[in-house]
Amino acid sequence: MTLQETLLLRLRVEELLFEEADLIDQWKLDEWLALYTEDAHYYVPPSDVDGDTASAETSLFYILDDRIRLRERITRLKKVGAHSEHPRSKVRHLVTNVRARQEGDVIHARSSFIVSRAKDITHDLFVGHYLHELVEQDGALRIAKKTCVLDMEALRPHARISIIL
Amino acid sequence: MAQIIEDKARGQFLVPRRAFTDKAVFEREYEAIFNTCWLYLGHASELPQPGSFLTRTVARRPILFTRDKEGNFNALLNACPHRGALVCRERKGKSPAFMCMYHGWVFGSDGHLMTLPGSSGYPEGFKSDPQKQMVHVPRLERFGDFFFVNFSKDGEDLATYLADAGDYLKLLAEHSPSGMQIVGGTQEYAIRGNWKLLAENSFDGYHAATNHSTYLEYLKNTKGALGVDPLSGVARDLKNGHALVEYSAPWGRPIANWVPLWGEEGKVEMDAVYSELLSRVGAERAERIAKKNRNMVIFPNLVINDIMAVTVRTFFPTAPDYMEINAWALAPVEESEWRRKFRIYNFTEFLGPGGFATPDDVEAIEKCQQGYAVGGEAQFNDISKGMNRADGWSFDDEEQMRCYWREWDRRMANVEG
Repeated sequence: MTLQETLLLRLRVEELLFEEADLIDQWKLDEWLALYTEDAHYYVPPSDVDGDTASAETSLFYILDDRIRLRERITRLKKVGAHSEHPRSKVRHLVTNVRARQEGDVIHARSSFIVSRAKDITHDLFVGHYLHELVEQDGALRIAKKTCVLDMEALRPHARISIIL
Repeated sequence: MAQIIEDKARGQFLVPRRAFTDKAVFEREYEAIFNTCWLYLGHASELPQPGSFLTRTVARRPILFTRDKEGNFNALLNACPHRGALVCRERKGKSPAFMCMYHGWVFGSDGHLMTLPGSSGYPEGFKSDPQKQMVHVPRLERFGDFFFVNFSKDGEDLATYLADAGDYLKLLAEHSPSGMQIVGGTQEYAIRGNWKLLAENSFDGYHAATNHSTYLEYLKNTKGALGVDPLSGVARDLKNGHALVEYSAPWGRPIANWVPLWGEEGKVEMDAVYSELLSRVGAERAERIAKKNRNMVIFPNLVINDIMAVTVRTFFPTAPDYMEINAWALAPVEESEWRRKFRIYNFTEFLGPGGFATPDDVEAIEKCQQGYAVGGEAQFNDISKGMNRADGWSFDDEEQMRCYWREWDRRMANVEG
């Protein structure tokens, strides 16, 4: 690939990743889910496995959602009975260091994140990197798979991935 | 200092909120409870071979849990006898020996000092001096594949301590003809609340309908996730502060409680699992293992919940208002790829920091802790539900918590304040 092609690909991927981050931060969760393909998967592995390679079929994860459970996740989050997020927390995603490469029909993207969650007396950070698999559908990029790898030793001092990372 | 009030005549059971907030109570808990009770360390499957090791913090102490070359299990205090540095700084692995990175003293996996640099600077026999060896935890015992430590040299043995909870550990072992194992991957998290609130919460049948309304709605929403069994069951006192609730519930269990979501392939699998159970343990136990859920708390801080998956969870406070939690999934060694996959899927549906339920438990625990700041006139928690029931306790009464609190109270009173 020429430098120009590499940069254009990265810009295109960044545009999607920034859009995704913005939608979550604004709690536009239905619009966020629309960025995902119908057969999408969303993962958050635990800290004591290699999150880049671990399989949710053989290792305990924090989150392993198929599209159905992803939909149910946001259905739940919008309810008053999702106590952990009612009133909802303030969330901010910083997404940086984006790299992308195309392999056949799939674009593999790696990026770094810091996600801040603030609610009443607590303010917590999640730090890690995203692995996105993106595909083209109807002229737009869609997310087929997202893995949020926490670069943390544990989910401490807090316990809740009650927001979308 | 912080005593419970039990008044059977009035059907009243009160726990003082100081038990959750007071620094002196917290320190006394280490003395009266964590330094005398049997505490869960780990599962045999986590150290599969001679040389396997893992490090873990138990009751504020860094522990090195090893299998030596003879295959024996050792629980060592992970501090160098020389200057006290952590000898092993890795979470887990396999190694025949451990070298302290400070001055290079090398220890075998049974803790004995193998070599030390510059040994000519020491008198003869120095290396075999008992004081120069890594220290074993005073007592290490196993019940089935569950290993426990005790930081007190004296006291009852593990089986006596576990009392009737031992029967339920045996029932759990019967899930499999070939043994149970810890699935890889640990959920490691923390809650900004007193540790006893998590013990209460872990077998609280009363909170499900409100605290977890969105989870129950999810089961209804998701085509086929909802089974036919209503929530109903009993609470049991297992003695020595241990207790459990045993009940039927509408969710699927990968030990042969099929729900339509799992499809025909799943039905075939579950039928096969059930018939194996039936032939091995008989109808009564097979029915209990497959259909009944059990939330058990082994005093003071081991939770074994055999629900939509099996979780083993332990937790320690580092302050009155903060605890660190480790949680694992336990599964039959022989289970198929399909069944393991659905087990993990089921586990994460409800349990853990990213589940559809645990975050709301965390919210409840943290909001209790915040509420205790009111102090003053609002001094007690009420744990009296079902206290004077004549026909046995329901799973959504609070007898299981009363069993826990009576033991807490007894042990705390045993130590001079």
